[in-house]
Amino acid sequence: MFAVPSAFASIDTIAVDVGISVFKTMPIGVVPFAEPKGRISWSEEKPHEIVTRDANLSGRFDVIASDKFNLALFSRNRAKHYITGKATVLSDGRVQLDCYLYVSQTKDLLLGETYKVQQRDMRRAVHNFFDKVVNRLWGDRGVASTKIAYVSKIEGVKQVVVADYDGFHRSQITRDTSISMMPVWMKGNKGLVYVNFKTHRPRLYFKTFGGVENPLFPFLDQTYSPAVNPKTGELLFSSTVDGKTDLYIGNMQTGKARKFAYLKSNQTSPAWSPFATEVLFTSDRGGGPQIFVMGKDGSDMRRVTFMGRYNERASWSPTGDRIAYTSMDNGHMNIYTCALDGSDITQLTSNAGNNEHPTWSPDGKLIAFSSNRTGSYQIYIMRADGSNVTRITKGGENTSPTWSWFYDEINP
Amino acid sequence: MKNITKIVLTAGFACLALVACSKKQPPATEPAAEEAPAAEATATAAQPGPNADSLAAEQARLEAERLEAERARLEALINQIMSEDVYFDFDRSELTEKARELLAQVGELLLKEQRFTITIEGHTDARGTEDYNFTLGAKRAMKVKEFLIAYGVSADRMESVSYGKENPKVEGSTEEAYSQNRRANFRVNIK
Repeated sequence: MFAVPSAFASIDTIAVDVGISVFKTMPIGVVPFAEPKGRISWSEEKPHEIVTRDANLSGRFDVIASDKFNLALFSRNRAKHYITGKATVLSDGRVQLDCYLYVSQTKDLLLGETYKVQQRDMRRAVHNFFDKVVNRLWGDRGVASTKIAYVSKIEGVKQVVVADYDGFHRSQITRDTSISMMPVWMKGNKGLVYVNFKTHRPRLYFKTFGGVENPLFPFLDQTYSPAVNPKTGELLFSSTVDGKTDLYIGNMQTGKARKFAYLKSNQTSPAWSPFATEVLFTSDRGGGPQIFVMGKDGSDMRRVTFMGRYNERASWSPTGDRIAYTSMDNGHMNIYTCALDGSDITQLTSNAGNNEHPTWSPDGKLIAFSSNRTGSYQIYIMRADGSNVTRITKGGENTSPTWSWFYDEINP
Repeated sequence: MKNITKIVLTAGFACLALVACSKKQPPATEPAAEEAPAAEATATAAQPGPNADSLAAEQARLEAERLEAERARLEALINQIMSEDVYFDFDRSELTEKARELLAQVGELLLKEQRFTITIEGHTDARGTEDYNFTLGAKRAMKVKEFLIAYGVSADRMESVSYGKENPKVEGSTEEAYSQNRRANFRVNIK
């Protein structure tokens, strides 16, 4: 199901028995960073705690925690590598973080990075190092530096916010008296496209980070369900005129848009394939919502979901082989994945309130979603097989997560 | 409640016009031909003489009463229309028998008061996705619009909008709350 990178072959792995997990995870040792006694008052988590969180969330590692280097422990748990480091305070008040990835047996240094940062940027530095670790040990790009946009009810009004993928460092993007919702990331993580109700109708807007809000396609009525083409940055979305909802495709630079497909049914919730050659969408042609796929030119339409009466809001895994979607059964929403021909249906959530709005991490290992399993809606991350569910928000109501693209060195 | 103030203003002008050719004259006033200039005069400059002054004051008072009555009547109508929510079954947009009866009353009011224009808002309950609920709310609003068009209300007096599940009338996740939220309702404006 998941492609195994070639670098993987030389690495000892075990399958973790968490529910139905089919994930191969790699044990890794984590040792607290050395620091001058009492010199640093950590406002949030310490560096090794951030590493541990990244490792646990990544879906790739099993953390073998130890107060100090312990070869017996690491060997017993088959942790071939371990991460540690050193924190020092610089004369200008910044913190210097030296981060290391070692081979357990030999104590050979595989990777070393030095960051000189303000304390508030420390998390970002550790995330950056962790992504380098993922790249070194897996040959993949990691997601520790990515972010998630979502909708948060602030003083009773839904606003669009952005946080690091682990839920830390939340910042508010919209400050409106009317509802903002359905955020998606512009190409290159330059900003967000979202829906706002200030005209008393749903309408798309975009806002670059640090920039101003701009209305999109004002000549179209009731625009929503935005989906950014991962190759061109074009926007696929729904527009409703009276009772009829159609898909449109628009260029955010030129402001031009045209109807994407001429169909009798109503269509919404478009999603692009990883290489933007095909499009998933929901149609009500059979009465209730079902998921369909068609070529980017509107050709070769076929139905994907057949089980159940309510299958909606599909999103394509970045590896291209599966889709995640929300299905309603007995009034409860749950998240499923299936292959593109509709076969191999896997239910990822069950018996835990409503679970909806799945969004893939850019490496395809994880799915973020919103759930009211604790009473209020909060954002959770799980592995793509439904295991290892971790809540990343608390308080208020948080819904509609959308994962950013890879960040790499880009800063918002 | 911006609408209401707008109503007062527009209704005010309408009533001034009505007064000018009204048949029900208060007994103390002069014939209609002289009344209209008098009414204007009160608005521009005071007539000389105490008698004319009291006449004008009486005139203004009666007008204010009539304006108030007209305003109250329109407000009552608008409130009636705005309180007429039309309910739907789960994931359905067909009008129920009860909905049709109710819409017939709204249609009647709209045919009587040609100056009213309406916005039909379609809503869904909290279940389901935001996206699909927008399309569902739109279908509901459209069914209402189609019914009113068939009833004789001109299409250009009505616009429809979907709020999906974003604007529930009742909070909560009980069937009771859901059934109250699966609705179409009206906003009224005066042309």
